[in-house]
Amino acid sequence: MSLTNTALLKVENLGVRFLMKSNMLLGKKTYLYAVDDVSFEIQRGETLAIVGESGSGKTTAALAAARLVKAYTGKITLDNTDMLQIQKEKLRQARTKVQFIFQDPYSSLNPRLRAEEIVKEPLNSLTNFSSQKKQTLVNDLFAAVGLRPEQQRLFPHQFSGGQRQRIGIARALATQPELIICDEPVSALDVAVQAQILNLLRELQSKFELTYLFISHDLGVVQHMCDQIAVMYMGKIVEYADRLSLFNSPLHPYTSALLSAIPSVDQKRRENTKRILIPGDPPDPINPPKGCRFANRCPVAKDICFQKEPKLQNTKDNHRVACHLVDETAVSPLKHLL
Amino acid sequence: MTDPLLSVKNLRIELNTRDGVAPVIDDFSFDLFPGEAISFVGESGCGKSMTALGIMGLLPEGVGKIASGSINFAGEDLSSAEQKRMRNIRGNEISMIFQEPMTSLNPVYTIGEQIAEVLRAHQGLSKQASWTKAIELLDAVRIPNPQARISDYPFQMSGGQRQRVMIAIALACEPKILIADEPTTALDVTVQAQIFDLLNDLRKQTGTAIILITHDMGAVAEMAERMIVMYAGRKVEEGPVQQVIDNAGHPYTQGLISCVPHILEKLTAKRQMLQEVPGIVPSLRDFGKDQCLFASRCQYVSEKCNNTRPTENKFSSSQTVACWLTESIQ
Repeated sequence: MSLTNTALLKVENLGVRFLMKSNMLLGKKTYLYAVDDVSFEIQRGETLAIVGESGSGKTTAALAAARLVKAYTGKITLDNTDMLQIQKEKLRQARTKVQFIFQDPYSSLNPRLRAEEIVKEPLNSLTNFSSQKKQTLVNDLFAAVGLRPEQQRLFPHQFSGGQRQRIGIARALATQPELIICDEPVSALDVAVQAQILNLLRELQSKFELTYLFISHDLGVVQHMCDQIAVMYMGKIVEYADRLSLFNSPLHPYTSALLSAIPSVDQKRRENTKRILIPGDPPDPINPPKGCRFANRCPVAKDICFQKEPKLQNTKDNHRVACHLVDETAVSPLKHLL
Repeated sequence: MTDPLLSVKNLRIELNTRDGVAPVIDDFSFDLFPGEAISFVGESGCGKSMTALGIMGLLPEGVGKIASGSINFAGEDLSSAEQKRMRNIRGNEISMIFQEPMTSLNPVYTIGEQIAEVLRAHQGLSKQASWTKAIELLDAVRIPNPQARISDYPFQMSGGQRQRVMIAIALACEPKILIADEPTTALDVTVQAQIFDLLNDLRKQTGTAIILITHDMGAVAEMAERMIVMYAGRKVEEGPVQQVIDNAGHPYTQGLISCVPHILEKLTAKRQMLQEVPGIVPSLRDFGKDQCLFASRCQYVSEKCNNTRPTENKFSSSQTVACWLTESIQ
């Protein structure tokens, strides 16, 4: 893996585990490893997407990268600062560089605060700006996200879903961050409003030279927004590649299944895509199998897949995949099924 | 051509709101033929689910009512049917599955009890027979090891399995029509694909007609033969699915299709800004006005659009569009 110094965010061997309290009585601690040995990096101005189904650990990985949940192991470097080592004032300063946009614009805004107060909150807690400077910033932010100045005095319930998400975006931009983590920013919105928000996010990205970590389960949105994509399954990254090679030549059987499951309006794609069915459910995350975690659902699993855990390895052109059945020639193990 | 199984004519559903009576469904007509799969498409608040609830006789009591129009099902007008008769039809002739498989099952009964209840109520099966049939149904919706799983409670199942149970309940009495209201919105994409496959297979086996309610054009393309695009309680476009996708007549339909970043057969490096449909669906206060309700969001708007409600016109041999400007856009 090439870890260059120009990366804004570099995450190495990140692990997040949750204690399962029910087993405390036995005196034995059982953990759920929500994120297990995950590494990724984002170059300045680029967008990395983490995709995966619910429970795959994508949100937890993002929360850990912003130090909003505790990582028990690993290293997170943001703009040459080791995020897991700093405390107090240093951490407060570092936090201005990473901001979050949440999925649900209904529950992520305090219903008792006016829109301007919501946008001002990160400035109050993370900066020492004068109130005049804060107000100027809020005015600019409202304009940047396409809200009218008189809407600053309104409460969240007076806005539509799309407008609320604009407030959430303004709040994320308030501290002039470099990295914004967008956790399913449009999945709670109506389709037509989704387009407005996605366009806004891309416009803001080029205007403020933002770097995005984009969490989504919607692969259509992901291919539109992102440069690099990491696919997660049960806490692990199983495939990591740039947008074109991931979508046009997926290597991991899980990625292939995921892509083949997307309903498409393109008649040609529907006719030419054979659906790869992955029956069953993911195994119990508290007791993950010792081999490949996808093996029990994989249509081409071999003996080795149940014995040994595959490592994320480079094939060619920086297309990384964790599968025993892919070698450096980067041929999909499902080739005969497609 | 065969007679339609369900024929809705000039349906008007009114809701009592704080600002007075609003027509959430306004002069809406469509036919559903036996074994056919059609889809209602549109944003939330456009009346898709209201239409379904109207057909099912499940409009919120005291708030919504069918003001005029008819719902003709197999020679019977459901809009004026007695509640007792509707109870007989629901679940037996017309079934519905909902968006949230988490909340539509009763958490304190096992899934077996919930499936068997339908069979006992509608088909008068004995306790024993309904239980055996329930196991068969679980097997039909591809839940592995149905004998054991039938005594599970809903919380013991995953979201996809719960939706399968819902489908088993809905199809227990082999209804003629299944209304699926956003059946996969809460599910992961691989599970969604399994549910779609299941619904398609069951439709082939049983000949049940399906009305799919969704906002996802991809799902429509995958599941339905014909689509009806709804906006603010009115039909704006109707036609065969692929034909509408390839050549939409109404600016709203065009917007719905082009505002979503689709995954096409071959991805290219080029990425464009998405075609936005500005604004949002009008509030209920504006429903029922004699104008095109999409006018405020439409880039092709002209004076006529703001003064007169557009009529439904033939757009091509099998496509109809309600827009004053259809010809000039072409």
